[in-house]
Amino acid sequence: MDVSTPEWDWGELVLASQMPILIMLLLLGAAAKLATVRSDAEPGALARLGPAVLMPGRLRVPALVCCAVVEVVLAGGLLLTTAQPFRWMTVIFFALSTYVLVELRRRRPDAGCGCFGEVSSAPVGLRSIGRTVVLTGMALMSVWAPVPGWTVFAEPTWLVAAGIVVLAVLSPELEEAINRVRYRAPCEQRPSSESASLAKLRASGPWREHAGQLLSAEPADSWRELCWRFFAFENHDKDHVVFAVYLSGMRPAVRVAVVSRESMPEYTTV
Amino acid sequence: MRRELAAAVLGREVGTPGPDPANGDPLIAVSGEIRDVSPHLILVETIDGREERLVIAPWATAWHGVDMPPADLPVGSQVIMKTLHEGRVVERLWAGITRATGTILSVTGRRDLVVELDCGPHRGRRQVTIPYRATGRLRVRHPLLEPGFLFDAIGLREESGTTILLPATSQPGYPARAVPSPPPAFGGVQSRVSGSAVWSDAFDEEERGAAYPMVERSDVRCSHSEVSCVGLPYLAMGSLLSVHNVCTDRMTNVPITACGCVAGRFCDRCVECDTGSRGRIVELSPAAFVELGGELINGCFNARVGLG
Repeated sequence: MDVSTPEWDWGELVLASQMPILIMLLLLGAAAKLATVRSDAEPGALARLGPAVLMPGRLRVPALVCCAVVEVVLAGGLLLTTAQPFRWMTVIFFALSTYVLVELRRRRPDAGCGCFGEVSSAPVGLRSIGRTVVLTGMALMSVWAPVPGWTVFAEPTWLVAAGIVVLAVLSPELEEAINRVRYRAPCEQRPSSESASLAKLRASGPWREHAGQLLSAEPADSWRELCWRFFAFENHDKDHVVFAVYLSGMRPAVRVAVVSRESMPEYTTV
Repeated sequence: MRRELAAAVLGREVGTPGPDPANGDPLIAVSGEIRDVSPHLILVETIDGREERLVIAPWATAWHGVDMPPADLPVGSQVIMKTLHEGRVVERLWAGITRATGTILSVTGRRDLVVELDCGPHRGRRQVTIPYRATGRLRVRHPLLEPGFLFDAIGLREESGTTILLPATSQPGYPARAVPSPPPAFGGVQSRVSGSAVWSDAFDEEERGAAYPMVERSDVRCSHSEVSCVGLPYLAMGSLLSVHNVCTDRMTNVPITACGCVAGRFCDRCVECDTGSRGRIVELSPAAFVELGGELINGCFNARVGLG
């Protein structure tokens, strides 16, 4: 924090101070929207999100993608140039967002704002609208900033922190994120990838003990039951070596058993 | 195989499929083709070619499109029977019963309606006819007979095709692709999940198996599983599922043998004995359904399931 930077006077400093926040928020918003579109295996989920609900069904994905692209372009323009069109477009973007949110609240009170994609699924409230009003104000301030955004990133001031605090207070997503961490679905219900469990298995002690005896490094069968994922291998004596990997935690519990072929009932494929 | 290996590595008991001994006198489902029927005796030929002669209880009832005395059932039709006393005494008979569950692809016809259904990636397509006399009854509980919406009804298998007679549920109001997401789970782990259990005739005749929605897509090679409006735990093909019929207080262990990708899309309630929790949690083969005391015509019972 150096208020008396010689090249800048106080007024210019204030004007430029909020640009990092705008740039970061635009990029975050774009990334979250794209993630929502990509993860949307069930098209019904989009029906609850953001201004896209005001669109007909088949235009919802293009609308979200288009919005994300505009955000990236604006963020790039603010970061690298002092060109006025980018700055005025940012003002117009946030002013329009405010209007769209007000409209959304009036027409679809059940829909979330979708500002940060799927995290913003809570219905639009006064706080979300207040946030876009504040952002419009910040964008308006930045119009007359004398420097491109990256210089402010290089020399941040306490005004950035103040801006972040104001926006955090106005963000319902933060509470949502905290709740998601606090009340995470139990691991029985969480999807998990087979390859990640296999990687954890291969980093474990029981694997190192038995890896030398296995016929193949790829499991003959693998399946998941509740919080455990099982990997079945064959060893050189044609016995079954089965590993169970717990699905929660960075260094999960790994159990192993060697089951002789004779003790198994007749094999039936499932 | 998977069950034995999982039990070995986790040091737990290997469950056995079949009814819980605490149920009392077990119900046994017997199915076959009717060879001869009289008011007191029925002779059926089972799938493996055996002939079975069973006593019909005096209180027994039968269904073949409508309720009727057992002696009126047509010879030659396929029948599934609920029996007591080690499979010797018949209590309830259903002849020619079938169930059409799936997503509507097209509806044609003016008086009699012909509905084409997509019964899921493993069961293919199916065409059923709703005769004019049944359309009113069906439309009351299936108001959206339009492509993209779900359909579930019970009918009669005839030589000319499947005739739908009764709705098996109240149609969910959302399109098949927009299944509501499950309510948020609050960390606590429940070993039993409540919901409705239904039956399907897409299983083999004598099979005691279940289709479960929450099996991994890679396990069943199908992109339609892992969909349910209930917070169900993940299980695998071959896992033993313990199914408890809350209405009759019978419990049995059935192996998961199929993907419940169609059942998972139904977020309906069963009102068999009480208003149950919403969501289909398991789809049973007819034999398993009958042995749990289920009534095929009602189509569902309130159930609790867990790992067996």
